[in-house]
Amino acid sequence: MKGKPLLVASVTSGIVLLAGIFYIALNLVMQQGARPAPGLPAPDFTLRLYPGYRAGLPEEIRLSDLRGNVVVINFWASWCEECHKEAQALENVYRSYKDRGVMVLGIDYLDTEAPALAYLKQYNVTYPNGIDLQQQIARAYRITGVPETFFIDRDGIVREVVVAPLTEAQLRAKIEALIED
Amino acid sequence: MRIFYASLSLFLVALLAAHPAQAQPPAPDEPTYRIAKQLNCPTCAGRNLADCPTETCAQWKAEIKTQLDAGKSAEEVLAYFQARFGPTVLQEPPKSGVTAPLWAAPAGAALVFLASVGLVMWRAARRSAATPAPAAAEHNDPFIAELERQVRAGE
Repeated sequence: MKGKPLLVASVTSGIVLLAGIFYIALNLVMQQGARPAPGLPAPDFTLRLYPGYRAGLPEEIRLSDLRGNVVVINFWASWCEECHKEAQALENVYRSYKDRGVMVLGIDYLDTEAPALAYLKQYNVTYPNGIDLQQQIARAYRITGVPETFFIDRDGIVREVVVAPLTEAQLRAKIEALIED
Repeated sequence: MRIFYASLSLFLVALLAAHPAQAQPPAPDEPTYRIAKQLNCPTCAGRNLADCPTETCAQWKAEIKTQLDAGKSAEEVLAYFQARFGPTVLQEPPKSGVTAPLWAAPAGAALVFLASVGLVMWRAARRSAATPAPAAAEHNDPFIAELERQVRAGE
């Protein structure tokens, strides 16, 4: 009989601990959204653009502000070797299509500023680029690494996701398909 | 045979001499290292920034050094990394927000446990103070207890 209150105390303490762990786990799960698969609306976000890489846009832009354009969202990082392979292609297609209602958005992932700006300078990038602060956009888009590219149509619907570096020909083909749609 | 042993000894001596140079760890007294020790590698789960050899971590360590050279304090550097990359970048989670229960739960559980133990001890002490000392030793055996009761009652 004397051991019963001790048992109750131990169980209560255990429940308090488990409740704390459950609360944290629930919060982490709630922070994760579903991956925006093709056919689903692209999650809206705010991107803080790097100075000198705003392409005439304000310092902070929302994806929803670009509605009506075909948007190519490219997640990259300066330390990512595969990203270097497609950097020039992205810049080339931006220059080709920017006057045809196509926007390329570069989202810098887990990068420090100096190497990121050096990367952009190396490839003479002119399309808007910004830092994904606290990986909020990466989490919303559930990216698994870099590079990852999302193709979004004029209505803000994700049409294709590519988890690999893209060639210029591939980029052009996908953009042309969205323009003609 | 003597030549073989001499060569082997020379080889072993050379190997031992070379080993410390190859396995030289980063200097733990360097401020950059001390700050990096408080951060996580962003791309390898559970790995410390200071000990991670990836390109990402090399860049981050360079950033720490740049900021320290610019006169920033360790706290300012850590605050920069937390603001830019989120609280998960810190080896020790902050004691606020979502992670607050992580710190509060063990303390809460310990408090509940200690309070319960204290209550049990207090009740036991009160019970023993209120109960008069038995005239004779008590027995758990109901037969002996009944026998003692009858003897005391003079039955």
